Amino acid sequence: MRVTQNTTANLVLNSLQTIRRRTEELEQQAATGVKINAPGDDPVTAQQILHMKSLMAAGDQYSRNISNGISWLSMTEAAMDEMGNVLTRAKELTVQMANATSDAKARESGMNEIVQLRNQLIQLGNTQLNGRYVFGGFKNDTPPFDSTGAFNGTDDSITIEIDRGAFVPINYSGGELLRGGTPPGSTGTDIIGVFDNLITALGANDQTAVQAELPNLEDALSQVLSTRTDLGARMNRLEGQKNVIEEMKFSLTKVLSDKQDVDFMQVISDLTKQQTAFEAAIAASGKISQISLLDYLS
Amino acid sequence: MSILSLLDIAKSGITAQRLALEVTSENITNVNTPGYSKQTTVFTTATVSQERGFPLGNGVRVAEIQRAYDDFLQMQLKSENTTKGWSDTVLASMTRAEQLFNEFTTDGLGKSLQDFFSAWQDLTANPQGQPERQAILARGQQLADQFKRVNSYLNDIRTEANQSLEGVTADVNDKLRKIASLNEQIKQIEVQGARANELRDQRDLAVRQLAEKVGITYMEQTDGTLNVSLSLGQPLVLGKDAAVLSLQPDAANSGFYRIYSTAPGGKTAVDISSIVGGPGNGQGEMGGTLQVRDSLVNGFLADLDELAYTLATEVNAVHSSGFGLTGSTGLDFFSTPATMAGYSGLGGISVAISNSNDIAAANADPSVGGTGNNTNAKDIASLFDKILPLSGGNMTLGGFYNSLVGKVGVSVQNAERSATLSEGVLKQLDNLRESQSGVSLDEELANLIKYQKAFEGAAKLINTGTEMMDVILGLVR
Repeated sequence: MRVTQNTTANLVLNSLQTIRRRTEELEQQAATGVKINAPGDDPVTAQQILHMKSLMAAGDQYSRNISNGISWLSMTEAAMDEMGNVLTRAKELTVQMANATSDAKARESGMNEIVQLRNQLIQLGNTQLNGRYVFGGFKNDTPPFDSTGAFNGTDDSITIEIDRGAFVPINYSGGELLRGGTPPGSTGTDIIGVFDNLITALGANDQTAVQAELPNLEDALSQVLSTRTDLGARMNRLEGQKNVIEEMKFSLTKVLSDKQDVDFMQVISDLTKQQTAFEAAIAASGKISQISLLDYLS
Repeated sequence: MSILSLLDIAKSGITAQRLALEVTSENITNVNTPGYSKQTTVFTTATVSQERGFPLGNGVRVAEIQRAYDDFLQMQLKSENTTKGWSDTVLASMTRAEQLFNEFTTDGLGKSLQDFFSAWQDLTANPQGQPERQAILARGQQLADQFKRVNSYLNDIRTEANQSLEGVTADVNDKLRKIASLNEQIKQIEVQGARANELRDQRDLAVRQLAEKVGITYMEQTDGTLNVSLSLGQPLVLGKDAAVLSLQPDAANSGFYRIYSTAPGGKTAVDISSIVGGPGNGQGEMGGTLQVRDSLVNGFLADLDELAYTLATEVNAVHSSGFGLTGSTGLDFFSTPATMAGYSGLGGISVAISNSNDIAAANADPSVGGTGNNTNAKDIASLFDKILPLSGGNMTLGGFYNSLVGKVGVSVQNAERSATLSEGVLKQLDNLRESQSGVSLDEELANLIKYQKAFEGAAKLINTGTEMMDVILGLVR
């Protein structure tokens, strides 16, 4: 093949340009720290990266939802714990009052304490978190229980999304918990009703009637307890899901970094190589284009 | 044989070598002229005559000044230039479109989409919250703005592509006129038996440059003229006549140009838009521009409209079935245009709700069922993950957007590959052409010395002849 001055000049130009282009690519990688700077760099990986990023963002949102749920459930659990204490105290008192040794006077003071405990129970039913009544269902901006113990909230579940399509309720109906459903006692033990009966029985100094409420108190305690057990299970599920999300994010971060991040050692060493190649090409081209027959003609 | 014929032979040598020296200097001075082909002087012996029974030559003659030229190479260069014109044009536009969808370095539409639905998730956690409600209005507005931003930028690319047709058309017309006028000159010179080497070089270059603008074929006629037409067959140059391309706004296509051609020597203009941009025609810059304007960017816009349409329709359907804080119901969240085309552009979707209380988080009247009702907010939030029947298959809104980003990426990559490939091929072809037709200074300098020496030799011959003459003339004295 014939080689002319232009062939040589073009060759020099092309190789210098190739080196420059590659250098620029590497410099951009070094500056941004990512291999894929635009969708056109690698459309398939680009889509995967976008998908993973959206998964991670969704994970963040689910984590936030879970945190919200956990604070609701924690608040609810604290209230239920206290309800348990109230019921235990009420049971002790009732056992005492059901005893033949208690007289009318003792029963009256017992009644006073039961009234207080009943108020405390209602107060616990009106537990708030950030201004919302946790036992109120959808009507959570007004106290679900009035002073008579009537439930004004709703039985609705407030659910949150903790994973794609997975919803978990984060509330318990105060009506079902303390009044045994609507109307009271329809699906469980009407705890406020038991207290009301106790107050009436103690006020009337009716030992038999007081005694009759003992098994009801027992039922009330197990009603609160079993709800707490259910709550514990939900908490576990939330905590578990939180861990799952954290792990997913961790492994996604790893994969993402694998796909997207630049190996700096590699880039820097490549850059150095390109630098050397550039210098060599320039030096060589300087030498080659100097030589011509013209130099030897006088 | 006489002394005079010796002088004649010497004279033929001097003239022939001098011509060769001229050709050599023409080569040397045109070493950097684009499109120039090396010329070689072809010597041949002059007519042979019988001299006392022996055949004897009568000196040297220049048979031809030959142009180093390869027709096949020219054809390859032409089609590769067309590919390069196409890919460079498409690549430039696609790279710009790519920046719009670049979610790797900046946040774009995809992030806004996700943020919008995240805001609904937050509302689910606190359906009565005013900050959460305000956030939804702001995010919704932001999302609509992003749609408009991407849409208007894509439209800018189309408008600019359309405008660049003016320059390309002017260029094409210029080249066509040039080829036609060179045709005429070449014909004039060659009809007298000479070769119009330099003019042919210029015409070849013009053809290659024309090929970069638009896909063409050509055919040389017996009179030396070159007839040029579009690859799919619409005459552009016939002998000394050139076609004239013109642009007409097309009301059916946003007032964008259609390309018309008045055939060489003809009077009526024919619409050649579909030929120039057609897949069977080598595309060149013109075809690439049409493709960017009418199909590539249009495709992205259609996807964008579909995304906005599906988003607004789905959100509205759930939203209007829900209830606001104060019991309002039946309200759309997004106001929407009449047809799917235009959902993402100016006059496209916008947030229809202005009172944050009207955001329907509940699926029943909150003034009756309680303001903690988050059911509807939850349903809207989960639309982000809902698999919807979209034109690209069943996927989520985010997935559809990602696939749009992928489409843009693929078209960038395609254009990039084609550009790199044709650049490489062109380099090789140019090298081949250079090796065939290029001027080598070393070679020419060697020739220079060769012809110079031959010239000196012939001159010496005259000297000898003169001396011989002197001897004979001396005898007479």
